[in-house]
Amino acid sequence: MTIQITENIENPDEIKAKVIYTKTQQARYVAHLDNIDIMCKALRRIQLPYAVSQGCHPRPKLSFASPLPLGHASYCEYFVVTLTKPIDPVWLKESLTKELPNGMEVLEVITPYHDKRTKNKGDCVKYRLTFDNEDVCNKAFDFLINPETTFEIESKGRNRTYKLGSAVKKPEMYHENNKYFIIADFMQGLAEVPSVSKIITALARFLGENKESLKLIERLSLQALQ
Amino acid sequence: MKNIIEQLSHWELLEIEKPARYLGGEANQAPIKDNPKLRVCLVFPDLYELGMSNQAIKIFYESINNRPDIMAERCFAPWPDFASLLKKKNLPLYSLETGTPLNQFDALYVTLPYEMTFTNVLYILDLGNIPLLWEERKEGPVIIAGGPSAANPMPVSKFMDAIFIGDGEEAILEMCDCLIASKEAKATIREKRMALSKIPGMWVPEFPAKSVKRRVFKDFAKSAPPLHPVVPNVQATHNRAAIEIFRGCIRGCRFCNAGFYYRPKRERPVENIVKYSCEMLKNTGEETLGLLSLSTSDYSNFENLVKALQASKLYPEQTISIPSLRMNDNTIKLLDETPQIRKGGLTFAPEAGTQRLRDVINKNITEDDIINVMKTTGDSEYRTVKLYFMMGLPFEKDEDIEGLVELVKRLEAIGRSTKPKKQISISLSGFIPKPFTPFQWAGQNSIEDLKRKRVMVCKGLEGSSTKISWREEYLCLLESVLARGDEKICDLVLAAYKNGCKLDSWFEHFNREGWEKAFEQTGIKSEDYTRSHKISETLPWDFIDFQTPRAFFEKEYKLAAKIAGEEIE
Repeated sequence: MTIQITENIENPDEIKAKVIYTKTQQARYVAHLDNIDIMCKALRRIQLPYAVSQGCHPRPKLSFASPLPLGHASYCEYFVVTLTKPIDPVWLKESLTKELPNGMEVLEVITPYHDKRTKNKGDCVKYRLTFDNEDVCNKAFDFLINPETTFEIESKGRNRTYKLGSAVKKPEMYHENNKYFIIADFMQGLAEVPSVSKIITALARFLGENKESLKLIERLSLQALQ
Repeated sequence: MKNIIEQLSHWELLEIEKPARYLGGEANQAPIKDNPKLRVCLVFPDLYELGMSNQAIKIFYESINNRPDIMAERCFAPWPDFASLLKKKNLPLYSLETGTPLNQFDALYVTLPYEMTFTNVLYILDLGNIPLLWEERKEGPVIIAGGPSAANPMPVSKFMDAIFIGDGEEAILEMCDCLIASKEAKATIREKRMALSKIPGMWVPEFPAKSVKRRVFKDFAKSAPPLHPVVPNVQATHNRAAIEIFRGCIRGCRFCNAGFYYRPKRERPVENIVKYSCEMLKNTGEETLGLLSLSTSDYSNFENLVKALQASKLYPEQTISIPSLRMNDNTIKLLDETPQIRKGGLTFAPEAGTQRLRDVINKNITEDDIINVMKTTGDSEYRTVKLYFMMGLPFEKDEDIEGLVELVKRLEAIGRSTKPKKQISISLSGFIPKPFTPFQWAGQNSIEDLKRKRVMVCKGLEGSSTKISWREEYLCLLESVLARGDEKICDLVLAAYKNGCKLDSWFEHFNREGWEKAFEQTGIKSEDYTRSHKISETLPWDFIDFQTPRAFFEKEYKLAAKIAGEEIE
């Protein structure tokens, strides 16, 4: 296979790869720092030619997406690795998947990859919530569709009140095989907009005992806001 | 039976600290076998992070799972939050690989790394819905214990169906074969115990042999270490690929149980260590390679080993970690010249503050060695020096405690003169007389005496920048009782467990009241176990042939007394 090399605009010597992977099943409960550790070890096992940082304790040059809340499944986790030489993305996809724990699978490798270092304007993350009870799903939908919904969340030792406002966009509901779903876009990383993690926590509190009907929380896609 | 893990909801798992500890599915986990002839669960009676660092678990997991007809799984002690969840949901404790309840296995192999895990064994059996006493078990898995703290099997003899003494590498598959044959013959649990009692090194409480010989794995040097250890999903306490470069110790420190338990010294050759290390690093992706032994610089070809490992480096950021180094000039020079070696801090164990007492305990470190280490490392990358000391050692006098203070002050002055920010910290612990050591007859200082000595050290070092930490004196007493216990100690452990004691080595869970109540309930007096014994007395563990004669321990004890200018009975 021929590997096309495109120059990195910011640093012409650097070759990067973006690896998009899943975090499902047991892997949902792996914390962010453990996730980084697992990935570093897997990259060493496949002997990926990654670059290392300078200094007295060199580390592989990796940058990860912001932490996924514990217990959320995801089909759009990613990291960017700096390489010392070009690699075959198909090889990386297949060999890395074999080395990952249950629930982690590489979906796509983009290399060469160019970081667009634009100022972060936040992300739009698409979520799917799966329920086993229609009434609870309806109740959750009512909570998410109303921009006036307010809730309190403890943050840094004090309670803070949030308003849903424009945090949730385009919520939709459907059902299939006795399962009830809500799909919605959540805005992330914007000032004064509650994060998806806070909204789901508030939703669980709102549902009370019925939260057990919310079986699965999945992050389906992630788009940087332009 | 349904996989227990599937019965835990998302919201329940979110309430748990580090839920990934309880879910398995890690890289290098053994593949699930269909209908194996035998299913065993390797039980480590402490948290996942500690168990995943344990060498015995790695060795047995790989050696059993290499057999196509046997499946080995893992189980660790849960933190109380998870135990409460299981109890609330009326679910049993289970294995990580298949979520199988512990009581559905053919056998549980329990590693006992230290005495303070004895209540954890009961905690695990209880959560696994397994009766705690072997006499009450009429069916279900056979419970077999091994490991350094099982060398004196008496304090756990009412809980275990069988207790194995010594190196388990060869015996582990003998146990499996024995259990497969028993299973195929539809043997009762009693018949299984009887069959197990025929295995050399095995002691079965129901059929107690008059003598049991400690097993030694003679082919250790030729053997391969576990090459595909499971890569934990939660960072382990020792986050590294670990290879035992040799087993055993030549030093003969008179207080050290491990030094005698792992005898004789058996070294893996340099070329094998390099080959296996590379393979292990390739299979785990660990950044650090740990060279394990009781005293790594006693490896006969240490310099060549470090150079060969340096030359065969796999990853750019790879480091070597060398715990248990014996500090002398050459070692320090070698460490400084080898950039690959991780330079965290220097740790060494003079154990006693004066040369007189170090000679008594046969700790072959001179004051010059210690001073030289401080001088040599003066301007090196090592910024911290940690020193381990014991208090209440046999034949110790207050002058030895004063000597400890003086030694630390001198070291501090040397450290400061070479590197202003050099940090010295000392760790104090009460001496614990252990079975199968020359000091097995020695008495332990009372709690009051240990405290008094600790205060002497703290006051002596008032105003100095040395950091002082110590082990709670009551824990030292308890460890002595458990280590030198007889069969009656089983009742104490059981009572303590019933009083809520578990995870005793975790500060936040140690329940002193529970233990004190257990002493009262059982009528057991700690003094009976912490007192000094006459050499003529029969000790509970005397029936174990440790392959180091009792006469040798006796001679060494008398020699220690002679050095101290005292006499013993």
